[in-house]
Amino acid sequence: MSGARARLGSWWRLAQLPVLAIVLALVIAAAIIIVSSAFTGTGFFPLLPLFAYGALFAGAFASDIALNNTLVAAAPLMLGGLAIGLGFKAGLFNIGVAGQFLAGAFASAVVGAALAQQPVALAVTASLLAAGAAGAALAFIPGWLKAHTGAHEVVTTIMLNNATALLLAWAVTDLVRAPVFTFPRTGEIGNSALPVLLGRNLHLGVPLALITIFAVRWLLERTTLGFEIRTVGANPNAARYAGMPPLVIVPLTMALSGLLGGLAGGIQMLGVIGFYASGISASVGFDSIAVALLGRSDPIGILFAAILFGAFRAGAPLMQITTSVPIEIIDIIQALIILFLAANLIVRRVFRLRAPGLGIEGATTVTRTWGEQVRG
Amino acid sequence: MREGTLLMKRSVVLLALLALVVTACGSLPGLGSGLKIGMVTDIGQLEDKSFNEFSWKGVQDGARAVGGTATNIVTKDTADYKQNIQQFIDQKYDVIVTVGFLIGTDTLNAAKANPTVQFFGVDQFVADPAPANYQGLLFAENQAGYLAGIVAANITKSNKIGAVGGRSDVPPVVAYIAGYTAAAKAEKPNIQVLVNYTEDFNAPDKGEASAKTMIGQGADVIFQVAGLTGAGALRAACNAKVYGIGVDVDQYLSLPDAKACIITSAEKKLQIATAEAIKRFKDKGKQGGNFFNDAKNGGVAASEIRNLTPVPAGLQDKLNKALEDMKSGKLNPPTK
Repeated sequence: MSGARARLGSWWRLAQLPVLAIVLALVIAAAIIIVSSAFTGTGFFPLLPLFAYGALFAGAFASDIALNNTLVAAAPLMLGGLAIGLGFKAGLFNIGVAGQFLAGAFASAVVGAALAQQPVALAVTASLLAAGAAGAALAFIPGWLKAHTGAHEVVTTIMLNNATALLLAWAVTDLVRAPVFTFPRTGEIGNSALPVLLGRNLHLGVPLALITIFAVRWLLERTTLGFEIRTVGANPNAARYAGMPPLVIVPLTMALSGLLGGLAGGIQMLGVIGFYASGISASVGFDSIAVALLGRSDPIGILFAAILFGAFRAGAPLMQITTSVPIEIIDIIQALIILFLAANLIVRRVFRLRAPGLGIEGATTVTRTWGEQVRG
Repeated sequence: MREGTLLMKRSVVLLALLALVVTACGSLPGLGSGLKIGMVTDIGQLEDKSFNEFSWKGVQDGARAVGGTATNIVTKDTADYKQNIQQFIDQKYDVIVTVGFLIGTDTLNAAKANPTVQFFGVDQFVADPAPANYQGLLFAENQAGYLAGIVAANITKSNKIGAVGGRSDVPPVVAYIAGYTAAAKAEKPNIQVLVNYTEDFNAPDKGEASAKTMIGQGADVIFQVAGLTGAGALRAACNAKVYGIGVDVDQYLSLPDAKACIITSAEKKLQIATAEAIKRFKDKGKQGGNFFNDAKNGGVAASEIRNLTPVPAGLQDKLNKALEDMKSGKLNPPTK
């Protein structure tokens, strides 16, 4: 009994900041909804936030359809969040998940279309592998540059995001354009589509993302490589002194991170979107950063953060239909959450929390300084 | 630690209260009776001064005209198209309007799966075999281009006008430019029309380079039919202090960068197209195939003339005359 309470207490110590940041964001967004209601057709309506959040909740959790929608929206965020979180563990800020997501989506769309008539098992496996490989290959570049030239991964990955989007826009218009459609897009993916396991849209990508959560947790906490990644993140000089080669670990971690980002694109493409076109958006890549921060880079934390953000995405349409509160309020809530996580002093003041004693596990290296050279 | 537990207890109580309110409220009561009309936007925002905004205004007009209610869902990500459409289906909506060609595939699939719901797709071409409850709302680009051509021919001083196209294998683009060229030649037989297809919709730099070349050759009016590439073409026109003509929507409003030099735009009247579609459904039941909005039903027009004082004498009359002739079928601009 007291053991359980102690465990709950320690869990709460870890989660209180993110949870309270969410609460504070919801309260402020509620104020925004109330104020803005005065300028709409419905007129000033102080109870509107309750209706809006009620519909948001109903659209995300209140039926099996809603729950499926939440999980389907959360799955790519889990993988994307893991991609960012894994990078954080090694002291790398992989902002390139947006690009790796697109690369994975594109690769799986092209391979998927090519294998559309093959048996499902083969088509799905090959398409997903292509997605992971594309993401890994793309992320390896900034990893290698970081290790060998000191080029900061924040800069290189941001630039690669744009380069990737434009390169793929060209590829889909000129290289792999499917002939029958009126606009440039890839062909039908046929048998490469992820099988629907439950309801009308809960696809194979959801259990895959859940398994990956635990696989990454195992990798980080139970394997030598995971220990090396965490050590390089904590102190690359100490890591090198201990015989762990940052020159290898940094590009390898980036590639692993890119693999996860590419897979996120793969399951979104094969499970939901179905074809690649140059106008497709990759909001998952950027939302993943928020998910990783909210989950404190911990796989289990990322699981919950992804479900929360997935719930926002799944519930928002019902909120807009039934209460006319625009979907953009979700963007505001998400932005506020990040703001309060970054400026957590505000949260501590509002809820009168004491600053936690920093244990070794409490220290999260987000990213290392500009232009720092990694020596092997 | 004790502080934390207390706080946790408080939060649990707060959450429980919230859950209570949530279950008690459910959703707002329905706003009225009659047809329930839902619109799913293209990616972006509702007030985009372009396709989303004017389609939505039309949906609201249509809803008012048939005594129904209109609601929209703003799409934030490609992955959400399917779910946003499904949301309206689950809420038992009668008519669902979707905006933009990217959402076409999901609209088609939804139409096949829900034969009792009427679907309209703005800018979506419905190919055979098409379900009887899904209609593409298309536009007579050749007619809109013709009106742009009349304006261009009447304001050019150098007797040279240009058109920057996107891909030459996209029929609407070719139709716009064919109409534009035909009108210019009809107005001034000795006019020179410079046409360049950049084969790209997303490269402002190519559009800018293409327009610069034309301006260098003496063109003093640039018509853009090339999406983002065309935005670059208009920028070049503005920089060189020559006239620009926009496309699809009134780009004087939607493209502030080119506000200084846009004279008019070859406009698809989205607001009329969606409003009329809803009325058609109310009057005649299920609508399928493709519906071409043209001069006859007010589906195309030249946007308000701007940046031109005074407006050349007789220009507005010429535009009205051409519209009348296209309405009556006397004038049929070429489509390629």
